[in-house]
Amino acid sequence: MSKKHSVLLKEDKCEGCTSCVKGCPTKAIRVHQGRAWIKEDFCIDCAECIRSCEYHAKYTETDTLNIALKSNYPVLLIPPSFYGQFSPEISAFRLKTAIKELGFKAVYDVSESAAALSRQTLKFLNNNSGSYISTSCPVIVRLIKLQFPDLIEMLLPLKSPVELLAEKIRQEFKAKHNYKPDIFFLTPCPAKLTTVNKISGQQKSFLTGAIGVENIYKKIYDSLEKIEIEPEFDVDQLSLATVWGKEGGEESILNSWQEINTLSVSGISQVKKLLNEIERNNISAEIKYFELTSCVNGCIGGVLNVINPYQAQYNLEVRVRNIIKQQQNKLLNQTDKQDSLYKFYLTENIIADNVSKLDSDFKKAMQKLEQLQREIEILPGLDCAACGAPDCKTFAEDIVNGLAARTDCIFMLRKQLGKLADDLSILAHELPPVMSSKEEDNNNDS
Amino acid sequence: MQKQQIMCKEIESFDFQSGGEASSNLKNILRKLGVNSDLVRKTSIVTYELEMNVVIHSLGGEITALISEEELEIRVDDVGPGIEDLDKAFTPGYSTASNEIREMGFGAGMGLVNVKRYADKLTIESSKENGTHVKVLIKLF
Repeated sequence: MSKKHSVLLKEDKCEGCTSCVKGCPTKAIRVHQGRAWIKEDFCIDCAECIRSCEYHAKYTETDTLNIALKSNYPVLLIPPSFYGQFSPEISAFRLKTAIKELGFKAVYDVSESAAALSRQTLKFLNNNSGSYISTSCPVIVRLIKLQFPDLIEMLLPLKSPVELLAEKIRQEFKAKHNYKPDIFFLTPCPAKLTTVNKISGQQKSFLTGAIGVENIYKKIYDSLEKIEIEPEFDVDQLSLATVWGKEGGEESILNSWQEINTLSVSGISQVKKLLNEIERNNISAEIKYFELTSCVNGCIGGVLNVINPYQAQYNLEVRVRNIIKQQQNKLLNQTDKQDSLYKFYLTENIIADNVSKLDSDFKKAMQKLEQLQREIEILPGLDCAACGAPDCKTFAEDIVNGLAARTDCIFMLRKQLGKLADDLSILAHELPPVMSSKEEDNNNDS
Repeated sequence: MQKQQIMCKEIESFDFQSGGEASSNLKNILRKLGVNSDLVRKTSIVTYELEMNVVIHSLGGEITALISEEELEIRVDDVGPGIEDLDKAFTPGYSTASNEIREMGFGAGMGLVNVKRYADKLTIESSKENGTHVKVLIKLF
């Protein structure tokens, strides 16, 4: 299986319709021989193609429960967004008990490390000048590496909550026990699965694997029915940072502590527009922090979730309200001694992907650019995608890079056929000299 | 190496819809040529500022980009009232933009200041009769 991204194609289901090709924010898909192939280097795991495919040909293969349970000590990390998948009446304790019943030795809430990360983020923003972009959504990090490399320096140099927690658990086990846990993440999206194998800013991930919510949702539900819990334990016992699961959650925590200029934007196409404005200096430098997520509504909008994002948002909001009531505190603690156990800073530089240049030699790149501009002039500019590329400009680039032929465009092909037909007919009427003299003779006779 | 033209785009007065397209186009072209991302950013900021100046202050104009292995040249030529006081135009915060424009988020008086900051060489010729002609050079190596 490819390690660069986690979105896959079920060849037998693909009709070659180009819906995904046109909707791909990085133009990573081409239809060839009636199948929509993903160009590995360009896929950022945003899952837009999974959302747009009517035939459900695009999918992602996360780890299964069976794989996780082969471990001697499987551990599951639960993201805040997961709590939007159930009615707030089912307590977090009950949910975690049900998950443990499936065979996990321990379950942890990522909201714990998210809370710690929020505290560290605020410290960082107060101690550093400039504006920063959250690194928690791996799709956004990859988008910036691919299409906005000059904004890499704006990425907050701190690990994501999942990685922070997994690293801390590994350290604890090393210190206290003589065995290693296998740490799985209950993921709402394919992007987090990719980070298990290929992560930015760290040498390697601290996760063992990732299980899609859809993979074990039903099993959790079945398990819920079987368990019994004493009423005094049947409560949420969750960090207020559970609000991270939806768009603006991180922002709201930072702002609850201190008045700080932040902006939260969700949805990959909106984020792209924002990054464009940031790039041309058209966004106020007053904004210190950008909370950006690829999925609309934040992680609750993740494509591997089961519940629709709107209901999930409501569920999560009510649950957060309940947590506030239970804790009788509207604010998340601004200090915590446990925070010293986390190693917040990324250990590696985030490096640009650099795959958009036409040639590594400048002169050759210039020649290709000229050729590209010529091709764009010639092509019809209808962006019909019938050639398999999302638009004429991208198709032109494919031609220049030797990945497509001009006649893959049906309009160009028709034009050429038309010309061919004209030439044929002219040729047909042009008789050889021997024949023409005979014809003339015949005419004279009659 | 002689400079070759890589972009030429007309800009219409008060066309806020397409304002910014020239800077986006140029950014994409430079990426395709493998130009270093810091320089792409600089160019993007410079081009956008100049482009929006044409949209906001002139009666229309044209933006041209030329490149060689060593240098990028951006030329912006407009038809319009010209810049009345060039010295003042380079004062941070100085702007002649109307309230209407300011409400749109422009006219902070940082445009030419930023252009000067990122350009390696900047020349401006401006008069009431002949409009404004800006030439920016950005060294690529």
